[in-house]
Amino acid sequence: MSEARPVARISFQEELDELELALRAEGELVLRSLRGAVEAVCSQDHELADEVIAFDDDIDDQYFEVEQGVELLLARQTPVASDLRLVLALLKDNLHLERMGDLCVTIAKLTKLTKGLPTDPDLLEGFKEMGERAEQMIRVALRSLQERDRVAAESLLELDELIDRANRRVVNRLLEIGHDLERREWGLRMILVSRCLERIGDHAVDVGEQTAYLVTGEFREFTDASH
Amino acid sequence: MVTMADQQVTTIEPMSLADIAQEHSDEAYKNREAVFEVKDLAVDYSGATAIREVSLDVYKNSVTAFIGPSGCGKSTFIRCFNRMNDLVPGAHVHGDVLYHGKDLYGDDVDPVEVRRRIGMVFQKPNPFPKSIYDNIAFGPRVLGLKGSLDERVERALRQSALWDEVNTRLKESALGLSGGQQQRLCIARCLAVEPDVILMDEPASALDPISTTRIEDLMHDLKREYTIVIVTHNMQQAARVADMTAFFSVDVAPDGNKRTGILVEYDRTSKIFTTPADKRTEDYVTGRFG
Amino acid sequence: MSRSLKGGLFRLALLFSLGVGFLMLGTLLVDVFKDGLPYLDKTLLTNPPSVDPEIAGARPAIIATLYLGGLLLLFTVPIGVFTAIYLEEYADKTRWYNRLLEINIQNLAAVPSIVYGILGLAFLVRGLGLGRVLLAGAMILTLLVLPTVIIASREALRAVPDSIRQGAYALGATQWQVVSRQVLPAAIPGIATGSILSLSRAIGETAPLIMIGAVTYIAFDPTILGPFTALPIQIYQYVRLPQDEFKLLAAACIILLLGILLTLNAFAIWIRNRYRRTW
Repeated sequence: MSEARPVARISFQEELDELELALRAEGELVLRSLRGAVEAVCSQDHELADEVIAFDDDIDDQYFEVEQGVELLLARQTPVASDLRLVLALLKDNLHLERMGDLCVTIAKLTKLTKGLPTDPDLLEGFKEMGERAEQMIRVALRSLQERDRVAAESLLELDELIDRANRRVVNRLLEIGHDLERREWGLRMILVSRCLERIGDHAVDVGEQTAYLVTGEFREFTDASH
Repeated sequence: MVTMADQQVTTIEPMSLADIAQEHSDEAYKNREAVFEVKDLAVDYSGATAIREVSLDVYKNSVTAFIGPSGCGKSTFIRCFNRMNDLVPGAHVHGDVLYHGKDLYGDDVDPVEVRRRIGMVFQKPNPFPKSIYDNIAFGPRVLGLKGSLDERVERALRQSALWDEVNTRLKESALGLSGGQQQRLCIARCLAVEPDVILMDEPASALDPISTTRIEDLMHDLKREYTIVIVTHNMQQAARVADMTAFFSVDVAPDGNKRTGILVEYDRTSKIFTTPADKRTEDYVTGRFG
Repeated sequence: MSRSLKGGLFRLALLFSLGVGFLMLGTLLVDVFKDGLPYLDKTLLTNPPSVDPEIAGARPAIIATLYLGGLLLLFTVPIGVFTAIYLEEYADKTRWYNRLLEINIQNLAAVPSIVYGILGLAFLVRGLGLGRVLLAGAMILTLLVLPTVIIASREALRAVPDSIRQGAYALGATQWQVVSRQVLPAAIPGIATGSILSLSRAIGETAPLIMIGAVTYIAFDPTILGPFTALPIQIYQYVRLPQDEFKLLAAACIILLLGILLTLNAFAIWIRNRYRRTW
């Protein structure tokens, strides 16, 4: 958020500020959804999983509000320069947040599908760790946007590396328990859960990329696809 | 048992954007009070019709913009609201213009009283060749308004965001002000008689971009207390400031000679600039035609 | 012929025209001053005319001219300005009688002054029974000068931009308020200039005054309702007298008359310049 109060176009600035605020609110909703989803997986709590699925409607509502707000702002205010980059960044971040919400729903659905199946405590520990990482990444991403902090945005890359490593540990663990027929089905589903968490991390990195674009004016992927 | 409610960590209110959307929604506008109701209005000058078949309502405490190509009669139309067309010889107004439910053109209506309640700011700033103080004081003086003149002048200048710039030189000639300041002076002059409605006929078209922005910010402030109607040939300006926008166009008779203005579409500004109902409106706002 | 040569010749022609005018005027002025300056003294101003050139003066003529000027101002300005206001601000210009009025005012301004003299003789002196008095002279000069004052006032009123009127109307002013508080004050410099210039023209008029019977020789101070003479007439009389000194006295009177006219014109220009900057 900009520090100095602008002298002119006050209503326009207010609309921009409110749009950013709405996006941040959406971020908070996604964080809640993530925590709920991870908790549901780790404690095999199917009622919580149901709540997470239902809660996604709130995220979708907020997504729609932001989308409409951007459309209106573009039509009415014809923003240019950094204002335009901000609006475009908000548009894309909105999409990333909504996708994160959908991934949490997927996790919750997978949890429901594995009702009654035996679990592995190490894996659950791994998910808890990945969940915390993902949560941290979302927070850093949102804060870097708020403070227009390019360095913080770029630090998301390192955090993503941690999630990736955790994901690899999960996969290795699953290979270890793979011969156990009873836990195999549960294991296969859990690979998808791990994948979802890793994807959430990727989306957070994308949000960081938008922040860097906003600040520098050029769009760059933080890393190339071969990484 | 753990629930979603336990996951809440902060308390940001996510609904402020929805409030804005609500403001622009249909229900909000249907319930607003109409300051003007225009029914089937037509204006002709000595027989030549300038504009016809116009019907719309202007809502209280909103900014309503009239846009359209040149010659579509929007200036003629706005001048119907304060009976300035009375001053043009040969001008005839047909149809009804209701102001708070009362016929503006009724036999018992005094045009002078109309113009006190419904003020006007013109395209080219027209300060009187007098001092700044006398410019603002002119309205209250000719209308015989009671109360301290000094207070009225100060209040009007503060409302039009000009006080800080001129309070040390109120006795100097108004013609020494810059264009943007002169226009704000004209707005202050209008405000000094405590109108209900302010009409603005292309108020910023003669000004530089910075002055234009200041006038637009002013409109945003003023609409809290007054109802504002503006004519503008700058579409983006209408998009920025107006709550409701009316698009006028020129209807050319088959023989190519008679050109009359008509109302094409009147709706919330957000709708006009995102999904206009009429193709002519779409062509105009996208700059393709008109 | 090359372009620069044409340009040069044109400039030369302009300078020539300027030169001719100034040269003639200059010669006249020099001649008059040469003759008249020695005789421009207190006696001229304080003494009445006399057969003796040593003590002859032009006092009655000067006083009469001043009276005429004052009365003229008193009559022409209100009538002229109000007529102009009516024609410019109130009259519906599409009506036939207003258009007729307009054409006639232009015509009246072009009527020779002697015709006004005859008019005055017939209607004022004889018809109304006023007699050959100063008041009649003032009235006839008023008629003579009125069209010019009306035209000048109209121009001054027209020069006030319509945007001023529109702005005043839009604030809720009545037509009378718009005219009296905005248009008229703004037009006053133009009106004043026009009036003073018309006045200075009238002061130099001789023919109408002679027609209504201004006498060429009075030795007492004139009154409004009494017989009178005026400076131009006095000059005319002195020039016709046989003695050479009288001719020189006439020259002195001419200088006096020119002085009055010049002062009036300078005053008009000063007013115009002083108020010009408000636009």
